[in-house]
Amino acid sequence: MKALNVKDFFQDKKKDLLLTLVTNPETLKNNIINPFLNRPGLALSGYYERFTYDRIQVLGETEVNYLQTLKDDKLYDRMKEIFSYQIPCFIVTKGLSLPAQVIYLANELEIAILVSRLSTNKLYYELGKYLDDFFAPSKTVHGTLVDIFGVGILVTGKSGIGKSECALDLIDRGQRLVTDDAVKIIVRDDVLMGSSTNDYGHFMEVRGVGLIDVEKLFGIHAVRVQKRIDIQVELMPWKDNMDYERIGLGDNSVEILGIKIPIIYLPVSPGKNVSVVIEVIAMNHILKTYGYDAAKVFTQKLQQDLQEKAKIRNNLIKDKE
Amino acid sequence: MIRKTIVIVNTLGMHARPATMIVKAATKYRSDFRLIKGDTEINGKSIMGVMTLAAEFGSELELVADGVDEEFLINEISELFASKFGEE
Repeated sequence: MKALNVKDFFQDKKKDLLLTLVTNPETLKNNIINPFLNRPGLALSGYYERFTYDRIQVLGETEVNYLQTLKDDKLYDRMKEIFSYQIPCFIVTKGLSLPAQVIYLANELEIAILVSRLSTNKLYYELGKYLDDFFAPSKTVHGTLVDIFGVGILVTGKSGIGKSECALDLIDRGQRLVTDDAVKIIVRDDVLMGSSTNDYGHFMEVRGVGLIDVEKLFGIHAVRVQKRIDIQVELMPWKDNMDYERIGLGDNSVEILGIKIPIIYLPVSPGKNVSVVIEVIAMNHILKTYGYDAAKVFTQKLQQDLQEKAKIRNNLIKDKE
Repeated sequence: MIRKTIVIVNTLGMHARPATMIVKAATKYRSDFRLIKGDTEINGKSIMGVMTLAAEFGSELELVADGVDEEFLINEISELFASKFGEE
């Protein structure tokens, strides 16, 4: 099970979520293990059945107002009860302040309280997105991810088959590199999203040359940070008896993290320009998304032609004259 | 070189699927392979060529194979035509 340390989370999102820590730094030791959020309204009022304590607890204006209405001793008992659960941390929204007693208790029982200046809705949206991504199923794939005319193509194949060189050629033709060598894939809203495994920038290794910085060499338009993966293109050495797709009516697909995407097995041999073929794959994909499938159109025409010719032949045979 | 004349016996004619079967079978062999229909002659290992022959039900085709394994090639292709490409 994945776990996000509250301290790491605080460091990472401090700026984006306008967070400040109101308890001691020692309280940051807990782990977040659940991607969902909870507003503990009912728990605050004393109802603990099905209290989803393992989520981040968000305290909005309503909750803070309610706590302020409680008498000191009642507030103390209630909060002590709540803090006895294994809660990762609390986030108070709108920059509201909690009664001093609550903060004192949180320090005692070592549960962090963060205050965000965002509204509850905005915090829910931003934090939800962040946690979804963090807890999303993910994997790292050996390959190169390029954006070709807006179509995300994951180029895979054995080491030395020419993935990086192919990516370079595509960049030179005006396409955009997402990442080379290792692609981190996560599932976001049933879509595969690919990005780099590090944030050093867009470096790649070219055999015989060494490391190059694609962004510095080709400019900012040659790179992007993340991209939806639409198609996988597997480069493979040409083999005589391999069953390559000839017409394009087949639907080879591959499943990555439970999401199916089309896969194209592309034979590579000297003299074949792989970059052009990959651009064609992307354009053909766009055509298909807009409802035009060249393979279908051609074979339909052929079938019509065959039927008409067969009919004429039949008529001639039947005609005894 | 071997020549053999066959007739298309499957009612749908030589559409995309049969054409693919023929090309895939033919490319396994080293011999040259040509298909002749009337005055059109095409390379039997090219999918576009085979499809654009548009050989309909009842039409006659001449198979021409030339090379070391020509007999095996002609035999396999003839069987494909006779089996109606698994249709009907």
